[in-house]
Amino acid sequence: MSVDHLPEQSRGLESQAISRRRFLQGSALVGFSAFLAACGGTSTESTPPGTISIPTAPPVSPTPEPEPTPLPKPTGPLMFANWPAYIDLTGKAYDTGEYTPGSSPTIEQFKKKYAIDVQYVEAIEDNKIFYAKIQPQLQAGAATGWDLIVVTDWLAAKIISLGWAEKIDHGDVPNAVANLVDSLKNQPWDTGNDFHYPWQSGMTGIGYNTKVLAKAGIAEPKSLADLWKIKADKMSFLTESRDTFGLGLLKLGKVADPSSPTILDDLQAVFDDIKPLVDAGLRFAGNEYLQDFASKKTWAAMVWSGDLASSGTEGDTFQVPDEGLMIWTDNMIIPKGAVNKYSAELMINFVYDPVIAAQVEDYVYYVCPVKGADVEIKKLDAGAESNPLIFPPADYVAKFHNFQFLSDEAEAKLDELYLTLSGG
Amino acid sequence: MSAASSAVTAAPPGAWRRRLFAAAPYILLTPGLIWLLYFFVWPAVQMVLMAVSSGTLTTGFKPTGTLKPLTDALGKFPTQWSNSLLYGGISTTLDFLIGFPVAYAIAFRGGRYKNLLLFLVIAPFFTSFLIRTISWKILLGDEGPILGVLKSLGILPVDYSVLYSPVAVISGLTYNFLPFMILPLYVALEKIDKSVLEAASDLYANRWHTFRRVTFPLALPGVFGGTILTFIPTMGDYVNAELLGSPKTRMIGNVIQGRFLQSTDYPVAAALSVVLMAGILIAVLIYARALGTEDLTG
Repeated sequence: MSVDHLPEQSRGLESQAISRRRFLQGSALVGFSAFLAACGGTSTESTPPGTISIPTAPPVSPTPEPEPTPLPKPTGPLMFANWPAYIDLTGKAYDTGEYTPGSSPTIEQFKKKYAIDVQYVEAIEDNKIFYAKIQPQLQAGAATGWDLIVVTDWLAAKIISLGWAEKIDHGDVPNAVANLVDSLKNQPWDTGNDFHYPWQSGMTGIGYNTKVLAKAGIAEPKSLADLWKIKADKMSFLTESRDTFGLGLLKLGKVADPSSPTILDDLQAVFDDIKPLVDAGLRFAGNEYLQDFASKKTWAAMVWSGDLASSGTEGDTFQVPDEGLMIWTDNMIIPKGAVNKYSAELMINFVYDPVIAAQVEDYVYYVCPVKGADVEIKKLDAGAESNPLIFPPADYVAKFHNFQFLSDEAEAKLDELYLTLSGG
Repeated sequence: MSAASSAVTAAPPGAWRRRLFAAAPYILLTPGLIWLLYFFVWPAVQMVLMAVSSGTLTTGFKPTGTLKPLTDALGKFPTQWSNSLLYGGISTTLDFLIGFPVAYAIAFRGGRYKNLLLFLVIAPFFTSFLIRTISWKILLGDEGPILGVLKSLGILPVDYSVLYSPVAVISGLTYNFLPFMILPLYVALEKIDKSVLEAASDLYANRWHTFRRVTFPLALPGVFGGTILTFIPTMGDYVNAELLGSPKTRMIGNVIQGRFLQSTDYPVAAALSVVLMAGILIAVLIYARALGTEDLTG
């Protein structure tokens, strides 16, 4: 139906020279389809109406928000677990060299503002594996050692439903209350944002390198059906099984909806569809697919938006498949028993300042959950405000599918099928 | 000095000392025993219990005596079990073939460079196992230093590829565990009394016969130790198959990891570990018996 693909390809991003490369995420998908709409929607207005607008300041120093009167004293060090390369790092053009190479201006500014230390650790490479590490402590009622963690929708929902997240005091996070995009509000698993605020959202689609494909004489895959036809041993799908099977469902023309009554059979159908590719040499990868793109070992793959865009290899392209794509959100959560809960809330509030959000976004190239960041990002990087990876346009949003919230039964089935496919 | 101490106690001074002396080995063993109990015996018991449990991570696992995890462990993963055996066996054999001449050369021809050469054998351990394995991805890459050169010389076809094949996994295993083969072999060879070799030549044995009838038999404890130290970890390894292999080259270690972390199916993961441990134990016993050992291992 959508005969006219608009700028579905966000190609040429390489020219924007972003340094953030491997991204991370192994995560899952999330998202809410509506979600980015707001980002995109508000992208041209300067201040969304009805928000407690924050006066904007020059990029480097975050705007001081009106401080609520009697404040607890922030304590530290704030233990912040996040995914690799999921925050701004030094090296951008506007960085005048005041930060240590490799550090994050956002974190440094936070430390300075609140005079507490922050241990920002890239401790999460996979939702399941991270969960397997913190789950025993949470279950035993002990502190995990983290004050703030970033996990994908389905895991965030699970942790919250088990009562393992600290309630966020809305009085401590006025920026977040005011600036969270509408599309990410009222998530059924935490309607009032009492326990979570989104960090970034992202899309899962097709990635390939135009030059490599041209050299191999293969047409660029515009659809998942095209992708399936590429030599299997030159491809990788994602270890995040919700992504791989979600796109697999779309490829087969089935609804990628976890609540579909036929979901178990549909997952099996996807398995049967992918199995021949595995037999022919298909691999599964997390963000290490970037290395294989760089070495030309991989010609095309299922990838997360932002990754290839910022990976720096010329010709790398993120393609929105004709059949649709996956949308997901990674969320900040304060795990039960966090020692520095108030500091964690200050951090949530801090990154919901549009100035700070723009600074992060300009590096990570993921989808922004903060209203007003599009206005701010223009000041840092003209043109970024119309980057479809950060502020997806309506034709992207129309194709979003969320394949995050599986029943226990469907999840067990998915785990089993994925493990069998990936060799145990 | 004994006057003061004997005044305090009624027992004759010699008795205490004797008793203490008799108990000393046990007292000295205590820290090690506690360590073993806590970090080996107790987890092993838990693992066996988990292998006969049912439940989920959320509801908790209860030892119900079910045999399903064990039957799953034995029946569901024939490819991965045979990959483990095959890759473990081939790498151990390759390690022996590569390691024996190296150990021999160091032991008999090393001269004053012995220590330096031994140091070189273990030098790679100064780098993390993971980093070394990842660097094999580069070494074996399609355009890497090996394939790239061979391809540009026209020796290999352009689309020839090693990475993500069984060859890559076996190469990684062979490389990573080679020192575990060389060091025991070296120790055994180094211990050989050179006069025994001279005696062999005095008795008109040629070099080959000396090697086959004297040197090699005397090196058997090293062969035994080296193969065990190499085969056991290669059999259970999952890093090489994970980084250098594909879904088709997965080994049993990968299955255990996947069950444990991905599907949090602890009972099957535990059952697989129990089977792996028991299997290796039995294999080692048979092997020890076949090599005729007792004193070999001692």
